[in-house]
Amino acid sequence: MNKGVAITGMGIISAIGNTVEENLISLLNNKVAISTIDNISTIHKDSIKVAEIKKTNQELVNELQLPEENNYSRTAMLGAIAAKQAMADAGITDINEYRTGIVSSTSVGGMDMTERYYYEYFKDESCLKYVSSHDGGATAQTIADELGLKGMVTTISTACSSAANAIMFGARLIKAKKLDRVIVGGTDALAKFTINGFKTLMILSDTDNTPFDNDRKGLNLGEAAAYLVLESDELVQKEHKRVLAYVSGYGNANDAFHQTASSENGEGAFLAMQKAMKVAGLEPAQIDYINAHGTATPNNDLSEGRAMLRIFGKHVPDFSSTKPFTGHTLAAAAAIEAVYSILALQNNIVFPNLNFKTPMSEFDLVPQAVLKHKPIQHVLSNSFGFGGNCSTLIFSKSE
Amino acid sequence: MIKQATYIKAYCSIQNNKIDLNGTSVFKTGECLFVDFAKAAYRNFELNYPKFFKMDNLSKLAFLAAELLLKNELETDRDIALLLSNKSSSLDTDIKFQESINNQENYFPSPAVFVYTLPNICMGEISIRHNLKSENTFFIFEEFNPGFMSNYTNVLLCTNRAEEVLCGWVEYYKDTYRAFLYIVTTTFGIPHDATTIQTLFNK
Repeated sequence: MNKGVAITGMGIISAIGNTVEENLISLLNNKVAISTIDNISTIHKDSIKVAEIKKTNQELVNELQLPEENNYSRTAMLGAIAAKQAMADAGITDINEYRTGIVSSTSVGGMDMTERYYYEYFKDESCLKYVSSHDGGATAQTIADELGLKGMVTTISTACSSAANAIMFGARLIKAKKLDRVIVGGTDALAKFTINGFKTLMILSDTDNTPFDNDRKGLNLGEAAAYLVLESDELVQKEHKRVLAYVSGYGNANDAFHQTASSENGEGAFLAMQKAMKVAGLEPAQIDYINAHGTATPNNDLSEGRAMLRIFGKHVPDFSSTKPFTGHTLAAAAAIEAVYSILALQNNIVFPNLNFKTPMSEFDLVPQAVLKHKPIQHVLSNSFGFGGNCSTLIFSKSE
Repeated sequence: MIKQATYIKAYCSIQNNKIDLNGTSVFKTGECLFVDFAKAAYRNFELNYPKFFKMDNLSKLAFLAAELLLKNELETDRDIALLLSNKSSSLDTDIKFQESINNQENYFPSPAVFVYTLPNICMGEISIRHNLKSENTFFIFEEFNPGFMSNYTNVLLCTNRAEEVLCGWVEYYKDTYRAFLYIVTTTFGIPHDATTIQTLFNK
């Protein structure tokens, strides 16, 4: 197998915890965070459930010690908090000491602020400051500024596979020796834009989401941010860095089927998993755990399940979706699930696929429904986005 | 990366209600709106792909050019990468979408319009039609950028990311449009370089 790129730090803020440790405690104790929405005033308040970080924007401003007249979006603030944790975890004190970059993903960007003032811009100049923090690139730049980073800053926005592509791109930048280290991940805050958009597509559940269940009704949206620090082998050796795990494989494929829906046979998902295993130099039998995309929409779980059967045949490894804990956090999903995949490797655990009752009628795939302890060497993590943008990452144990 | 010669296998230009394929005029209409011209071209070439009528204008334009270049490619599982560019992104459709939500009392944001508020959706339409699960990228430039395009295409071909590349310019904004698409391969055709594609673009 190919060793891959070293991960030396990670940080996360999600609805189930404000740190890596808090997230692990919640995952180990079935502490879910699906609730009614508090921070956004929406007419769908009573008909949807979300996974919300129960901190107001003012609390985030205070935590980051921002001036009152800042123009930070919630997305950028969550991103800055998680990226700072990842930096500290990797023991980085001088971020510009080596060639360092950030690849940050987001789907909603600064929309959580701009949508509030949509009809005000031409009347009230004071809200114009949010226009410059609206686009996805501004989110990455804001996080880079908070970290004091002077190096490469770039943004990836490929819907729900965004953070997987950010991690993949970062790993390739290290392998190509373009950078010595790179902060990779994603951030997305809840916004009316996404709530209303997904509502229109009729894929929001009014109950807790139930991935891979025959009676699944759709997804719960969530908000989160998570970042990893990837470093070159040379830097790891020189600085005697502790390695949490390796990004050993990655693959991205085009489903070529529909603007939003996934194909029936999961062609894109199949190709992404196949490519990732090829990059890692692993056989299907070597995968110990799949952290599935598992959004609990009728379409995704069927398509992903079929793709898993095509790759693994009769020997599908233990798999689970952690979205019943965190909701679907869109462009951040692959980053928080990367953190969970690393935690699975470090603690030798398969996280439970909560809320599962009835196997799907189309096949006999049954997710791991309760916490399971077993040796884990390689974790495969899927993330599939609208536009048929399918990505797979493989994380391997550091030894 | 092993450098190898690359060739333009075929090229297609659409502008001013006229379609040229490999330098020869293959279809034209009199003065009319693009939407009517596109419908006439669809009928003329007997495309038989009803999803065409749901597309936005940028996608229709890219789709028509791609259709003429790829319709004779019968093999399946062809590894043809897509590399497109333009100046106005999807702004034409973005504005239509914005207008649909502009009035606070009377608004209707349609998902059918919204899905086209990205320029790369036109590559998605081509991928779906021709079953291309290949590399694809869309770049925004002030004007057609032959140096960048030829270099990027050669990297894709010489690093075995694709067998062929469907590349070019597909621009649509407020009824002014231009498509110039061409296929680059490693086997035969007109020698592919920045000067040649600029010359073909200017025709």
